Amino acid sequence: MKHEEKDNRSEVARRTFVKSAIILALSLGLSITSTVSGLFIGTGVAAQQNKRPNILLIVADDMGYSDLGSYGGEINTPVLDNLAQKGTRYTDFYVSPTCSVTRSMLLSGTDNHVAGLGNMGELNAPNQVGKPGYEGVLNKRVATVASLLQDNGYHTYMAGKWHLGVKADEIPHARGFERDFSTLVGGGSHFDSQWNIEWQTPKMPYTEDGRPVEKLPRDFYSSKNYTDKTIQFIKEGRNDGKPFFAYMAFTAPHGPLQVPDDWLRRYKNRYDEGWDTIRKERLARMQELGIVDKGVNTANRLFFLPRASQLAVGARKIQGRKMEIFASMVEYMDDQIGRVFDYLKEIGEYDNTVVIFFSDNGAEGNDLRGMYSGQPGTAGFMHAVNNFAENGHNSIGRKGTYSEYGPAWAQVGMTPFRIYKGWVSEGGTRSPLIVSGPGVQSAGEINKEAVLHVMDIAPTILELAGVQHPSTYRGREIAPMQGKSWVGMLAGSTQSPRGPGDWLGWELFGNRAIRQGDWKISWLYQPFGTYDWQLFNLADDPGEQYDLSDKFPDKKKELVTLWDEYVEMNGVIIGERSPFEGAKKALPDSVPEFDNYPPVRGMEAIPHKKLLELRNK
Amino acid sequence: MKTGKTYNGLLAFLVNLAIISMFSASAFAVDDGARAYWKGRDGTQGVSVQYLNLNMQASDSQQFDPGQYIYANSDAEANIFIANYVRHMTLFNRPSSLAVNLAGGSVDVDVSGAVAGFLPPGVSVGDSFSQSASGYADPSIQYVINLFGTPPLKANFDLLDYEPTWTIDAAVMLGLPVGEYDDDKLVNLGLNRWFGRIALPIKYHFGVFTRGYMKSLELIPSVWLFAENDDFLGQKLENDPMWQIEAHLTNDFTPSFFGSLDLLYRSGFQSEINGVEVGDDLDIGNLGFTFNYQATDNLAIRTSYSSNVFGDNDLDNSIIRMQFVYGWHRDMENMKKLQGGH
Repeated sequence: MKHEEKDNRSEVARRTFVKSAIILALSLGLSITSTVSGLFIGTGVAAQQNKRPNILLIVADDMGYSDLGSYGGEINTPVLDNLAQKGTRYTDFYVSPTCSVTRSMLLSGTDNHVAGLGNMGELNAPNQVGKPGYEGVLNKRVATVASLLQDNGYHTYMAGKWHLGVKADEIPHARGFERDFSTLVGGGSHFDSQWNIEWQTPKMPYTEDGRPVEKLPRDFYSSKNYTDKTIQFIKEGRNDGKPFFAYMAFTAPHGPLQVPDDWLRRYKNRYDEGWDTIRKERLARMQELGIVDKGVNTANRLFFLPRASQLAVGARKIQGRKMEIFASMVEYMDDQIGRVFDYLKEIGEYDNTVVIFFSDNGAEGNDLRGMYSGQPGTAGFMHAVNNFAENGHNSIGRKGTYSEYGPAWAQVGMTPFRIYKGWVSEGGTRSPLIVSGPGVQSAGEINKEAVLHVMDIAPTILELAGVQHPSTYRGREIAPMQGKSWVGMLAGSTQSPRGPGDWLGWELFGNRAIRQGDWKISWLYQPFGTYDWQLFNLADDPGEQYDLSDKFPDKKKELVTLWDEYVEMNGVIIGERSPFEGAKKALPDSVPEFDNYPPVRGMEAIPHKKLLELRNK
Repeated sequence: MKTGKTYNGLLAFLVNLAIISMFSASAFAVDDGARAYWKGRDGTQGVSVQYLNLNMQASDSQQFDPGQYIYANSDAEANIFIANYVRHMTLFNRPSSLAVNLAGGSVDVDVSGAVAGFLPPGVSVGDSFSQSASGYADPSIQYVINLFGTPPLKANFDLLDYEPTWTIDAAVMLGLPVGEYDDDKLVNLGLNRWFGRIALPIKYHFGVFTRGYMKSLELIPSVWLFAENDDFLGQKLENDPMWQIEAHLTNDFTPSFFGSLDLLYRSGFQSEINGVEVGDDLDIGNLGFTFNYQATDNLAIRTSYSSNVFGDNDLDNSIIRMQFVYGWHRDMENMKKLQGGH
């Protein structure tokens, strides 16, 4: 118990016990009329306590909106698809464009500019450094949902990616997780080689129950071991009858694209035809499922991406190989989630567990590998040389490689939206969301009414657990949660926790956006934006293709006023530098399109067999 | 941010990919060599030039090399050049290759204390004498077809899907008796008879099938068959089939450098002269090693050494080989032209 919070643990425990008893009593008293009542009515305190649900929060890393089968993807995800059938899918769930920023809001229930991740810690601009809300770690202005649950009778477990601070008082064990097996940083090897994508910390730091992990087992693979640990924690903590809150923060399918050898060829040649065909197929399935309305505007292929059919077949296959590995990573993760569900069923806890699944941001289309491996002569370059220089085509997906699937596949992942991770377009901020468990009504339905945000999850969990968010925590004032609980919506009493007047705001790397109802304004760096506000109507144009600024100037003005309010409310400081300020120059020129190409008319891509036929003629 | 470099880097990658194997011809008198039966893309061609130095000390009457007769109590040294051309193709929808081998050089033999038997003209029992021969050896042609484990490799994208494990080939070689032959000499470069070989090369690839990580275990059982030499010092020489097994354990040390442990064992080949058995069956086992360096996309340099370490002790031999292989494929060359600009 080295840090201050742990020194005060016993006193805090006493106080929180008293407080939680009061809160529990209050919530019981209110439960007859509250929305919680439909979920957890009990006959007495003991029974009520026993019926508090377990919470299993599962977060994928950089997974796309359309990757899951239940969202139109061709990737085999039976476990999550079954979960979707048992629970509810939501189409308009928002996260931040990048991961640590999302995670700060997930655990705190408030805006990232309040919680310390006004910018990613690695990318703070000079004028942001040292400012409140820009600590680059989850700051002490917030209490995590884990801390509050831990203090109120929950076991709290975490396995996977933290990315919210590496110091002793910033790590999961110090922020409310009694058990953890975590990697503290943003990404790196999925195997035991443990290399970090950032050269500054060459080895990914891992902690287990707050202590550094010196060496990973030789057979380590991220998704498997995080699952093993989650099951282990639940198993070891279940005898006292307390419910658990388990946070499974998978690092898959974040790059490097890596998967165990026996999963490498699971999707062999599945993506040889290229991104256009797959995207078209996904869109058709999304429309069939009802995830996307027919007739709406979907995003065009980004201007610098060629049609897949313009690539030589070999090039297309190599690009496809990367997508194969990505798909394998998603399926592997799905399979592991199935292991947790199986265990919960085995111990009779599955039906008492609320499961929330989503992805932390849009699919990754940026060249992180290029960014982190730097230029020859830099430390980053030597780090890459030492750890992930291997690039043979049959090596993709194995140890020692760092492959990403690039912007074209990322756009497939974010069908039907525009751009991808990093940007506040829909392609950077929409995520699939599945919620299932006791009290979640409308099994198998797709909710297209609700406009939801990752900040909502903490208040939802707290309400499910019968815990109130305090104004002070362990002697310090903490920021109120800005998210809105979904409990009423889950119970079926309302379609959305937000009304027509509610709005959401985003700012990251200087890009900014506001959504209110179906309207959205966004300000993006060129070349994706115009350095000015653009107005979109997402009901007709989820692909953000048509700027309606000129047609609806008053609406735009109205939303820009909300942006000013957002800045004021959250202390937003626009960085004087942005990783995207050079995007216009960095991205390739437009790819020319020809009416008479590809040579076989009417085909988006030339299938392998067809090409052979043509070749042999 | 993403740039177009992903696609630009592809070209160099494909160039490297195209020429997986350019060795595909048996060199008369020695083993085929490590990775000789690896497959190249349809249309890949290769030319190889190799120099061989063979040293041999025979303490008893033995045969050395298919069809040669080596006198007892002799020291021999051969310096051989072998030129080879191979073309990979698809026949019967199977990956195949056709190779032509031309060889030549010189052989020098010193005999101390000739024994009774087949004495060259003018040599008596107990004499010491020397003989030499030079010129072309018998050329040969070899066809190899894959029976199992390798799909047709018609295009670069077929190579992208190629991750072999077990592969089995069939190889047929035919030697043409047109090399230098003097019926008065004990030592010749030509055999003065038709000969051939049937082989069943078997490979197991393990490790990742990409440059720098490739590993293989290769077994090449084969049988050599010889027609009759009706003018061996005026006599009729016949030989039983020669059984041979060749094995290689290969490993990439870097993307452009691999090594191999080599084994070659030969047996059979009982000689009969005018219907009377002479000498013993062969029983020679050589162990050695090979190093291969891919100097450029087209050029590989290979060296190997082996000597007999088991089997019959009456025949010591050592073989040193230096080989240069130049391979190309039209598409790859054109890609490089385009990359080079105008």
